[in-house]
Amino acid sequence: MFRIVSTIAFLVVFGSICLHCVVSAVAKGCRWRPVDIAKTLVHLFTLLFLEQKLNVVGVLRKLIYLLALLCFVILLITGFYPVLVHGEHLSGYLLMLHATFAPVFAACLAVLAVMWAHNCRFNKSDWPWLQHIIHREIASDEPVTTKHNLVQRICFWLIVLLALPVILSIVLGMFPLFGTKGQEFLLNTHRYSTLLLALVAIIHSYLIIRTKIEH
Amino acid sequence: MFNIRTLRKGLLVTAVCCLLLVLPAAADTNGELLGDKDDGSRAIPVHLIPLLDEDGQKITPDDELILPFSAYQTCGECHNYDKISSGWHFNAVDANVAPGRSGQPWILVDAGTGTQIPLSYRSWPSAFKPEQLGMTSWKFNQLFARHMPGGGSGELESDNPDEVVRGFISGKLENNCLSCHDADPAHDQAEYALQIARQNFRWAAAATCGFASVSGSAKSMPDTYDPLMPEALDEPKLRPPTIRYRENSFDHKKRVFFNIVRKVPAERCYFCHSNIDLGETEVEKWSTDEDVHLAAGLTCVDCHRNDLDHNIIRGYEGEASVSTNLLAATSSCKGCHLPEETSPSPTGGRLGAPEPKHGGISPIHFDRLTCTSCHSGTWPKQKTIRTRTSRAHGLGTYSVDKSDDALPHIIYPVFSKQSDGKIAPHKLIWPAFWGSLKGRQVTPIDLEIVRQGAGIIANKALRRYGDWPSFTEETIVEGLALASQGSIDAEPVYICGGKLYRLDDKGKLIAEEHDAAKPYLWPIAHDVRPAAQSLGIRRCEDCHSANSPFFFGGVEVDTPVVSEKAFVKKMVEFQGLNPVYTKLFAISFVFRPLLKVVALGSCAVLGMVLLLYGLRALACIVRVLGEN
Repeated sequence: MFRIVSTIAFLVVFGSICLHCVVSAVAKGCRWRPVDIAKTLVHLFTLLFLEQKLNVVGVLRKLIYLLALLCFVILLITGFYPVLVHGEHLSGYLLMLHATFAPVFAACLAVLAVMWAHNCRFNKSDWPWLQHIIHREIASDEPVTTKHNLVQRICFWLIVLLALPVILSIVLGMFPLFGTKGQEFLLNTHRYSTLLLALVAIIHSYLIIRTKIEH
Repeated sequence: MFNIRTLRKGLLVTAVCCLLLVLPAAADTNGELLGDKDDGSRAIPVHLIPLLDEDGQKITPDDELILPFSAYQTCGECHNYDKISSGWHFNAVDANVAPGRSGQPWILVDAGTGTQIPLSYRSWPSAFKPEQLGMTSWKFNQLFARHMPGGGSGELESDNPDEVVRGFISGKLENNCLSCHDADPAHDQAEYALQIARQNFRWAAAATCGFASVSGSAKSMPDTYDPLMPEALDEPKLRPPTIRYRENSFDHKKRVFFNIVRKVPAERCYFCHSNIDLGETEVEKWSTDEDVHLAAGLTCVDCHRNDLDHNIIRGYEGEASVSTNLLAATSSCKGCHLPEETSPSPTGGRLGAPEPKHGGISPIHFDRLTCTSCHSGTWPKQKTIRTRTSRAHGLGTYSVDKSDDALPHIIYPVFSKQSDGKIAPHKLIWPAFWGSLKGRQVTPIDLEIVRQGAGIIANKALRRYGDWPSFTEETIVEGLALASQGSIDAEPVYICGGKLYRLDDKGKLIAEEHDAAKPYLWPIAHDVRPAAQSLGIRRCEDCHSANSPFFFGGVEVDTPVVSEKAFVKKMVEFQGLNPVYTKLFAISFVFRPLLKVVALGSCAVLGMVLLLYGLRALACIVRVLGEN
């Protein structure tokens, strides 16, 4: 069941991202010359670099983000590969790799949550339609948020929220608190909450890349 | 005109016909005997019954020739003997019976020739059939029937004319119902072993009774002796087998009381199913705890049940696929301790079995391990220990060798992968025998031939029992060289300590791995330790640590070769696991507390961030809703 659900979910998300890319490119009238594609790929690669304009905190933030991204990719592959490809439980060296990067990822998430929470908080400009509904007359000084930004913020808070069941479902299983049925419940919780977290994180990362490229 | 006489005649004929029709139906329903079908009463019928000899004749104390009673005739009057003979304890010789999971084999031991070889009539992997060693059922019974309940090989006919003659004198080893069902405290199963040794097969069952005593020996009788019409013997020192019944055993109707029970006492099972661990400081019965199920008040047959067919439950997972016992599926550990999820009615708590919580144990353990891995046998130590068993070492018999080094050497607990892929605790023996190699197939050489050859080399009488002899490589070379001059048409080899020894073209000794040299293992289930003494009860590191006995304990490689005696294998080699990975995984548990701290700390931070901004969002909502 989980295998089928995961496969469909990943296909839908990746398919949607590809479709969005194509539609956006067509809308902008992009030409699919090899040079343009190469330029885009190089631009994407440079996103990994540390910008000179960043201060110490900014550098730290980016480094932690890159580390979290690396951990996320490794955890994604080690966690979903045996399940999706072989239909087996995670075991062997993949399990050890997964368990090694998991606490690093958890720590990075916690730090990023603290560092990004203020920037990702919702404000009045995020909800102009809500303003209209409740007839607020006061004009907002803040610029209207772009659609991407809003979705990014929603994704950020979803990641922070989903991180709790993802981490707790595994850690609590390491204590003699839950019996066999409870362990199975925790494992299922970990699986499905991780799936949601992965999908949201993929969308979040895609939107960050799009924002960086477009600006 | 109506005739009264004719009417009476007609009525009489009709009555007789009706009687003839009804009587057979009342007397015999589907061939069932009196004791075959349960009437529902839990009371035990009193077995005050006549004794019948092997010809079905009633035995009385006034008989000129007092014969032993026959279980086939005496018990068979009320209980279907043939159906009982199809039971697990009696059907080893039936090739049509599925062998099921490997069990404890009979172990042929000959210390002088460096032989210990697992034998079984059942087709268990790595066990040899007696006929592969040239062993007839007659010889098999002499060696091993001491710890059998009769029947099986005891009732096989031999093709050997000499054995046919001896078999007539000794009689058949019928099913000995009393081995299990006799609750008389005076029942002496050790007498059975003694009578087997004397070849008094016909008398063996009766000898175990408290009201009978057997003397004499069929073994010493000449081939011409007729036990049913005995004549005076030329040699006055020879004593023919004779039975005497206690004088007051017979009542006024010449019947004898048998203290028969349906629920077999554990002590009856113990004669054949006892073990003693060696090399431990606490091995005496008074200083060790028995199986937790027995301590809780259960007895063996509360779990190991059977119907009239005596197809007793062995109690392992998957037994239902090979057993016809209706309770096979529900009489394993899971069957009693875990409720059946698909059952329409509750099934948990059978026999008062507690449902285990298994707190903190991830479900993968139940896919990879049997229940017995954590709960059975002795707590694993850095090296395996040796143990002795009733059937292998003749425990409970009069002349048992109590020395710790006596062959066979059974090693345990060895945590090994079973045929179903799960790891379970096993007992193990390293086969040692002289054989002939043809292609990849090794066939054991007849032990008597080996003894003759070994006797030539040693130039003295060889002992059968005791510890290993001290073999050197030169000894093995001598033996193989002598064997190659013999009549065998294949390459002579010697198997021991997990290796196959043979001579190369230049006469140099080579030792190599071979399937025939692999150890014979059989899973164990008893004694079950309490839950508070199960593996993992303290912490994960009971098994998952760099020096845990479960994975890295040493398994003794038992061998008569002096230079190889100190060799041990690691437990992980028997589990089908990658040793490097297992070691790394175990080492990673050192960092587990740190992982927990980091993970919980991260959750705390994430939780506080969510709480902070969640409260701020709530404050915003409250403010908006409160405005005019």
